[in-house]
Amino acid sequence: MGTRQRIVVAGGSLAGHSAVTELVGLVPEAEIVWVTGEPHKTYSKPALSKEFMQARNELAELTLPDVAGDRPRGLRILRGRSCVSLDASGRAVTLDDGERIDFDQLLVATGAAARMPGMLRGVDGVFPLRTLDDAVAIRARLADRPKVAVVGGGLIGCELAASVRAFGLDVTIVERLDTLLDRPFGGALGSYFLDLHRANGVELVMGAMVERVALEEGRVAGVHLADGTEIAAGLVLVGAGSEPCTQWLDGSGLQVGDGVLCDAHLATSSPGIFAAGDVARWTNPIYGLRMRVEHWTNASAQGRAAARNMVALATGRQDLRKAFADVPYFWSDQYGQKIQMVGWHEGHDRVELDRSGDVPGPLARFYRNGRLIAAAGVNAPRVVMRLRRQIEDEARAAEAA
Amino acid sequence: MKIIVDRQRCDGNGVCMGIAPEVFDVDDDLYLHVAETIPEDPELRARVRQSITSCPILALKLVEE
Ligand SMILES: Cc1cc2nc3c(=O)[nH]c(=O)nc-3n(C[C@H](O)[C@H](O)[C@H](O)COP(=O)(O)OP(=O)(O)OC[C@H]3O[C@@H](n4cnc5c(N)ncnc54)[C@H](O)[C@@H]3O)c2cc1C
Ligand code: SF4
Repeated sequence: MGTRQRIVVAGGSLAGHSAVTELVGLVPEAEIVWVTGEPHKTYSKPALSKEFMQARNELAELTLPDVAGDRPRGLRILRGRSCVSLDASGRAVTLDDGERIDFDQLLVATGAAARMPGMLRGVDGVFPLRTLDDAVAIRARLADRPKVAVVGGGLIGCELAASVRAFGLDVTIVERLDTLLDRPFGGALGSYFLDLHRANGVELVMGAMVERVALEEGRVAGVHLADGTEIAAGLVLVGAGSEPCTQWLDGSGLQVGDGVLCDAHLATSSPGIFAAGDVARWTNPIYGLRMRVEHWTNASAQGRAAARNMVALATGRQDLRKAFADVPYFWSDQYGQKIQMVGWHEGHDRVELDRSGDVPGPLARFYRNGRLIAAAGVNAPRVVMRLRRQIEDEARAAEAA
Repeated sequence: MKIIVDRQRCDGNGVCMGIAPEVFDVDDDLYLHVAETIPEDPELRARVRQSITSCPILALKLVEE
């Protein structure tokens, strides 16, 4: 590359922050253009449904440190601007204000957005939770002490319910399935979660579908279920899952399928273009499977790994090139309980539930063909982290065999 | 390299431990232990710095390089 290399990073959350930090350190001579999407500095999303929702911390305490301290010379931060299209073969992105930026390399770190069922969209008093702006809006409504309905008993829904209960408000969770947190924990801790929420005073309406919202003077007054029941609520919080932000890549030629498709090195189908974080569906060598992991630690580690592989490709520095082989990890906080999950439970053929009392809470181990692939536990970080290492060791042994 | 933990804030979620288990260890009372001395290894130190910026409640501070 004769002239100064230009790298564009799209996405201003953790994956982007972690990649830019690494790039600034590794290639200070490069020009880095960081297009952040949201107008805010990078902030902690996990806190939004937990500490921040419970008013236990404020915006300043959510904001991550600036990249590399003060402003590195080659870094241009375009805050509050978004990429609207990509020309993969022409090596350029176009921004929402029409500016076209040529690049040598691109990192797609545009994350995911909340899924909002059509009938819940645009109704006063109905909110998803994905961004700081969502959280601020919800907090403002909590001040009126409304009755709250939570649509969806997944991670966001359950954490919101727990946080709202901390204010002593009435909360009802409406969930399509018969268990809470089915997908994240592979169904294994279902009855534990039902008991936990009931014991903390949450009304649970299980196996129920929301059909439409009830309105009063243009504002939400509750939700109607498919069986005709009405649940009164002045505030409706929606945790209906998320979707990767890839619309802007339509027509770019980049291979996309529920996320940007990447190889084990986080490289996409187009040379020099990489992806990281919630938007990336990469081949994880630990499992030999393509997966999209939507967790905080993954976004941090992948942002860094993608940046290193990008620099390896551009400069030939082979010492930086490494496949991203990782056992996923996430935690959740509900009513002061620390719930942790490691690994990937999809495709498991056996679950072992341990309530022996040797561990502080229930512990589940997931196996496939006799190999440990995932584990979930409550208030047992050391055991869970030990199992994380075991999963990795068994994967490497299986590969070597 | 010296790290300070804000005990008021740290809730033991183990994100730091997930990124640099050689240095951070959360016990079953959700108390975070940090290694007294951190080896000179640049790769490890880079991960420690990354743990600090990745703490979701910003409970970690690096006080000496
Ligand atoms: C309320 C909540 C609680 C959570 N709790 C936990 C938890 O307890 N534990 C855990 O492990 N994980 C948790 N997560 C998940 C974790 O926050 C995500 O995995 C992480 O934020 C992913 O980071 P990311 O950078 O990949 O994407 P995101 O955080 O989704 O950010 C994507 C960024 O890209 C920007 N963007 C989007 N489109 C464009 C575009 N076209 N051009 C430019 N920029 C664009 C967006 O504005 C955004 O800033 C939680 C998430 C939420 C929302
Ligand atoms: S990441 Fe932060 S909150 Fe979590 S254990 Fe480490 S220091 Fe504590």
